Amino acid sequence: MLKRVLAAAATILALAAPAAGQTDAEWQKVVEAAKKEGKLVFYTASIGSPFYKDVTRSFEAKYGIRVEALEARASEIRERVRIEQAAGRFIADLHHNGATTTWLMQQDGAFQPHGGIPNARNIMPPYEADEIRLPSDVTSFVILVNRAMVKAGDEPKSWKDLIAPKWAGRMLADDTRALGGGAVFFAVTYEAFGKEYHEKLAAQKPVFSRDLRNNERRTARGEYPLYFPFVLAYYTQIKTLPVKVVIPQEGRLYVRFDLAVLKNAPHPNAARLFINHFLEVESQLVYANAGYSPVVKGVVERSSEDMRSFLATKAMGTTVPQRQNEMLDLAKQLYK
Amino acid sequence: MEQAALQRRPGVAVDAGGLPRRLATAVAGLFRGGRPLGLAALIAVLGFLSLYPMGMLFYGSLHSAPPGLAGEYNLDGYAALATAENLIVLANTVGISFVKTALSLALAILLAWIVARTDTPARGTLEVLITLPFFIPPILTATAWGMLGNAQVGTINLAWRWLTGLETPIIDVFSYGGVIWHMMQYSTPFIFLFVVDAFRAMDPALEESSRMSRATRSQTFWRITFALMLPVTTSAFILSFIRGIEAFESPVFFGTPVGIEVLTTKIYALINHQSQPQYQSATALGFAVMVLMFLLVTWQWRLLGGRSFTTVTGKGYSPNVTQLGWKRWITFAICIAFFIATVALPVGQLLLSSFFQFFGFYQLDMLTLEHYRGVWHNREFWSAFANTMLLGVGGASATMVLGAIVAYVTTRTRWQGRRLIDVLAWLPWMMPGMVLGIGFLWGFAMLPAGIPIYGTLWALLLAYIALGTPVAVRVTSSAYAQISNDIEECSRVHGASWWQTLWRILVALAWPAFAVGWVLTFFGIMRKLSASILLYSPGSEVLSVVMLKMWTGGKPEEVSVIGLFMLVLVLVFRWVQLRLIKTRISTL
Repeated sequence: MLKRVLAAAATILALAAPAAGQTDAEWQKVVEAAKKEGKLVFYTASIGSPFYKDVTRSFEAKYGIRVEALEARASEIRERVRIEQAAGRFIADLHHNGATTTWLMQQDGAFQPHGGIPNARNIMPPYEADEIRLPSDVTSFVILVNRAMVKAGDEPKSWKDLIAPKWAGRMLADDTRALGGGAVFFAVTYEAFGKEYHEKLAAQKPVFSRDLRNNERRTARGEYPLYFPFVLAYYTQIKTLPVKVVIPQEGRLYVRFDLAVLKNAPHPNAARLFINHFLEVESQLVYANAGYSPVVKGVVERSSEDMRSFLATKAMGTTVPQRQNEMLDLAKQLYK
Repeated sequence: MEQAALQRRPGVAVDAGGLPRRLATAVAGLFRGGRPLGLAALIAVLGFLSLYPMGMLFYGSLHSAPPGLAGEYNLDGYAALATAENLIVLANTVGISFVKTALSLALAILLAWIVARTDTPARGTLEVLITLPFFIPPILTATAWGMLGNAQVGTINLAWRWLTGLETPIIDVFSYGGVIWHMMQYSTPFIFLFVVDAFRAMDPALEESSRMSRATRSQTFWRITFALMLPVTTSAFILSFIRGIEAFESPVFFGTPVGIEVLTTKIYALINHQSQPQYQSATALGFAVMVLMFLLVTWQWRLLGGRSFTTVTGKGYSPNVTQLGWKRWITFAICIAFFIATVALPVGQLLLSSFFQFFGFYQLDMLTLEHYRGVWHNREFWSAFANTMLLGVGGASATMVLGAIVAYVTTRTRWQGRRLIDVLAWLPWMMPGMVLGIGFLWGFAMLPAGIPIYGTLWALLLAYIALGTPVAVRVTSSAYAQISNDIEECSRVHGASWWQTLWRILVALAWPAFAVGWVLTFFGIMRKLSASILLYSPGSEVLSVVMLKMWTGGKPEEVSVIGLFMLVLVLVFRWVQLRLIKTRISTL
């Protein structure tokens, strides 16, 4: 753990150095060049999210640079970028996707170095940036319970409580065998609690559904008393329903979204400027108030009161892109 | 004969009775210039729309990496198909689709007969009501049925428990039955739209002859009415069966949670649920599905080959209406029951939910008009609506024109190459939409930079035309099959050109079917997601993409509002269409 923290700190320092070395005058040149480019084409896998739009609007208002955004699912974005680049159609500038897909695309050679971002120096551990990728926002996964069906005090306190007999046949879950929150849950808890935990959990017969936004409502309507892993950021939209968020004592699971400049981007300066804007405290605050963990310092303490307590809880872990396929195969074996 | 007619008036400009003159002249010029040239042009268009993206996919199925990436040719994708798990998936898919198609066909024929051939009260209204479910986005009805038919807390089961005191639920939509039932809500009106006009376009003299020869009403129905409708019913059966195999929403919503897997959910998992999308396996599976479809279509050709189904002749006729007496109230009740089960219940649930803050929470303090306001003020929605209308009207019209030409060539001529044209027009329907969407993406992106299709509205338009053509061809060729050759020959003898005959005789007589095809294609375009999500570009969003964004953005209530808005649009379209058909038929 200490090694990872030190490595992260070293990376941040390495990144901060050129950015710090980059004088205001140099950055001002980037800003002017970006304004001359006048446009940014932004591909995001954050479908239906109003938050990146808020950030986009403030960017457009501040710099007068128009942002054209295209939303699609992670794999669709990846394939679109791949085929565009293979065909020599370099249309998009900036890519916004989950860390796993971004890592895979980096292996495909889809990105170019961003060239230094001043606000990268504010990124806080455990999140890391390198010369290609910068974290932008973090989605956390927790447990959602129906308040009417689960009495106060009866809620699970730990991820391990999900294997208690009282929840058998009564849990709705995101599919552990597919990419997404379910896979994150499987990978992290498999590492932490081992195979036996998942054998017992599979015996509980959780009902899998990938229709995430309907799952929270199914839980609220009382179809199931418990749903996991629930995207914390959705809570602000349903908090008036009879549901309650439970953050297990081991911590939240999380998935990081990254920003990266696409290879041969037609508007590379606008892309850099947008990344810098995304890492501004005001932009990060938009995400934090919605329940996403911010990636830069000085945001959690300024976030809304009802979210601050959730964001301050510890993060348990996330997936390792290199082991994703192995984990998916394991999940398929355990959850038939 | 056709060639003779074309040669008779070589230099005359064509007036295709309402077709834009320049387009008609240009296309007619192609055919006038010689049949081979016209056929070659048609094959080139269809080839570009179907063979080209399919070729890309075929490459993908044989290559370890998708186009543009280094890899090697192998059969790994196909080899991976031969597993016991895939056999179960295949059996599930075929079984579910067959059962739902058979049930839907029986129900659709009954409903079409009631509407077209009996004196059941309010038949015009019933016709509109019966077709409504087809036009409601499946994700909305799936959500509504999730609330209605859930074993634990579903409204129907709660009402059942309250009425009977029994604890056992009477319905559980998360089952094979639930998947089939949800699919039937779409396939029944789909088949109904096909067969209802065929019932109308039938010369009653044939049935009367049967009755005169002392056949019973039942014998007449099976030996004359049903037999004459074989082209339509088999076309509808096969199209519906194929749609069943390609259905995604119903199995993913009601099947996946209880372990029922079908081919489309498997393909979706191969593309979206792996850290590395398995395009080779997904496309190989897509081609395996295609072989299955091809066998079906060949079976249909063999079944219908060499038989005559002409019912519309040069002689005047009016459809025979059976007087049912008091039994007409039973037939009326059957139609209303279908409407209640497929529209009133789920749409009522949607309508109710659209006025509450959250779907399924009916507390007075949650009453709101916020979702209607949200949609009204949503600029992205209106922009997508404008794009969709443009693509819908343009795409449906172009598709029907192409479909009418293809249907003419394949059903009314003996030209060499017509079978190839039929196959080319069928191809896009045989490949699951989510795989074909990838083929279009690869195909359009790989075009030379000088051909500006990729990233424009043209990409969407061409994909929609390709995806809609099979329906357009089936609808129009079924209608053509019922029209006697002598009317067409009479037109030629009187000096009409090929185009004039096509437009003024065949299209004019097949007009009701043409209108149905147009509506089916138009609303198909409004719903197409698999191709749209891959081909749209910033600024060219369409309604299906915006609805997906709203759904994943946690706004199912606003999606319901759009669904209801689409329903109103359907009602208007259907009303206008039926009025026009009525006027047209009365003037024929």
